[in-house]
Amino acid sequence: MPKFETTHYTLEYPYQRTTGPVTGPFLTGLRDGKLLGIRSGSRVLCPPLEFDPDTFEELEPDFVEVGPFGTVGSWTWIAEPTRKHPFQEPFAFATIALDGADTPIVHAVKASSVDVMKRGMRVKAMYREERVGAITDVYFVPEAEAYEQKIAKGKGEVGISQHLISLDFEESFAPTRKRYLEGLARGVFIGQKSPATGKVYIPSKGYDPIERVPMSEADDVELPYTGTITSYTIITPVAYYGQKETEPYIRASVLLDGADTPLGQQDLRTISTDEIRAGMRVKAIFKPEAERDFEGIDNRWGGTGGVIDRWEPTGEPDVPFEVFSQHAY
Amino acid sequence: MASRTHGKEDIAIVAVAQTPSYRAFEETEPLLLLTLTNEILKATGLERNDVDFTIAGSCDYLSGLPFAFVSNVDGFGAWPPVYESHLEMDGAWALFEAYVRLQMGDIDTALVAGSGKSSPGRPREIFALQSNPYYLAPLGFDPISLAGMQANALIDSGKATEEDFARVVSRSRRDGLSNPYAQVAKDVSPEALLKEPYYAQPLRKHDLPPISDGASMLLLARGDRARELSDNPVWITGIDHRMESSHPGLRDLTESTSTRIAAEKLGLDGGAFDVAELMVTYSPEEIVLKNALGLTDSVRINPSGGPLCGHPVMATGLARVCEAARLIQRGEAGRALAHASSGGALQQNLLCTLQASAS
Repeated sequence: MPKFETTHYTLEYPYQRTTGPVTGPFLTGLRDGKLLGIRSGSRVLCPPLEFDPDTFEELEPDFVEVGPFGTVGSWTWIAEPTRKHPFQEPFAFATIALDGADTPIVHAVKASSVDVMKRGMRVKAMYREERVGAITDVYFVPEAEAYEQKIAKGKGEVGISQHLISLDFEESFAPTRKRYLEGLARGVFIGQKSPATGKVYIPSKGYDPIERVPMSEADDVELPYTGTITSYTIITPVAYYGQKETEPYIRASVLLDGADTPLGQQDLRTISTDEIRAGMRVKAIFKPEAERDFEGIDNRWGGTGGVIDRWEPTGEPDVPFEVFSQHAY
Repeated sequence: MASRTHGKEDIAIVAVAQTPSYRAFEETEPLLLLTLTNEILKATGLERNDVDFTIAGSCDYLSGLPFAFVSNVDGFGAWPPVYESHLEMDGAWALFEAYVRLQMGDIDTALVAGSGKSSPGRPREIFALQSNPYYLAPLGFDPISLAGMQANALIDSGKATEEDFARVVSRSRRDGLSNPYAQVAKDVSPEALLKEPYYAQPLRKHDLPPISDGASMLLLARGDRARELSDNPVWITGIDHRMESSHPGLRDLTESTSTRIAAEKLGLDGGAFDVAELMVTYSPEEIVLKNALGLTDSVRINPSGGPLCGHPVMATGLARVCEAARLIQRGEAGRALAHASSGGALQQNLLCTLQASAS
């Protein structure tokens, strides 16, 4: 039987942002190997902003090339970079006043050693071989470590900034969720019965939210395989990031007999869309033990993962809506 | 202490509750809140129905669950429905909203919470995402890196030394020994701390807060209702918050302009407090804040040990208010200042002044 020690998950958002009249030309400049500042009164701001930071007046897109040399202000040495940092070996983050700019840019300095880092040191902009029109196209090196680069100009303006956010999470299963999973693994539904209200929750969150009572293993109850469809929706998938479905499918809530909360997000695709209805009686048929898959069940989402092969109509008469109206979702 | 943001209604804290800072709390976030709700209802003798308004600060990104804040409502009790609000901010800003809401005069009580579980994720990667999405977030530029730059700026300007940072940590971690909510506490000398290796030079790991799970909560009440609910209500005599540019290159990292402005708006006298609970998440921030607030040496800073002993993100700022209020409740302080911050290197700052009498 699986152990259910820790759960891992990744949250991703593929952000695409329009760049606008100021950030766009700046990112286009980086792709083409130059740094642009914007005029704001007598000052030049780099990185360029759409507004004067003091008066908040909108700025005309009046750009001026700055750098490629600059002077380090404050810095810190990143001894242990994260996966999201621009370098995977130690480097510095620093404020850099580019020659010709009045406000500093915050960026990465790839120095051979922390010993060369100091306020007032001179650095030079260097460009990545592959440039996409992003802030990561450029980085800085101590002047002594700089070399000549030939930068080929790209095509068109950078109108969209792409940034894939990808975050990893890992945690232990909460004790109640672990017992629920262990139940599914051996083919039974484990819920909890509240000592305060008598209500039966599945999967339980480990407390009764009505009377605010924490529950323990002593409150666990086993529930039957039979239940009633209390609500459903037929989903026509759209092709968003991460969507694996291509054909319309049914997601339903099934209220197990004796439970007060339904099992949500049940896959009822073996029942035809013509036949399905709220009130229909069904029975869970589990997959063979070796084929049960627990993906998607964690502390946050309940559901039954890939544990149940199908929900089979029992042929019993439908349950009237009034009977389950308080337990539908 | 009249101020523009001190409303006409007298508002007091009548009960406070905190969970310990856990390295990893094995149950879910609503359960953190649920235990505190029960504790506060028990302390005040209120039923859940008697609470007029609930408001919580939390961050869905922390646990990686879109709409995690909706599940958190369970922690207040799911029935009957609550009249509620939520901020993707530390609970201290929920306190501000509740304070403003009570000024309308039509309700008497507000339950204010902050909660978060940082343990499942990688906070350094998550909080890089609160920086500018075009210029900084793609670099993974994170609050620890910015704190390191702030520390170096302080050293270069002659406003602080590494020894000063070590003294802040040594005192905080020692004070944490007597705080039951502290996660890391130790009797360690500044000299010993300075022998540790750098992590974000000139900062060492101990200059950073621990990664924590936890929650804090308090009950606010208006005027006579506060006097009914508590024999020793703690009155809020002023509350204000201000923020600075999200572009760190445009800020003088050795100063906290927003704290200074908030203090001015409150007419703050830096010598007039017995205690100040400051949200010092990185040790150099204490030096910046002490300076911006004009705190004199007679003001005891962070007797709880502060966030360097436990940093349940989204609850840390509200925990400062709870710690300060508890000292007044116990009669151990007459007047206290609580501070919360948000964003990298003290980008945004909230001040709340507390005392045992309403005026």
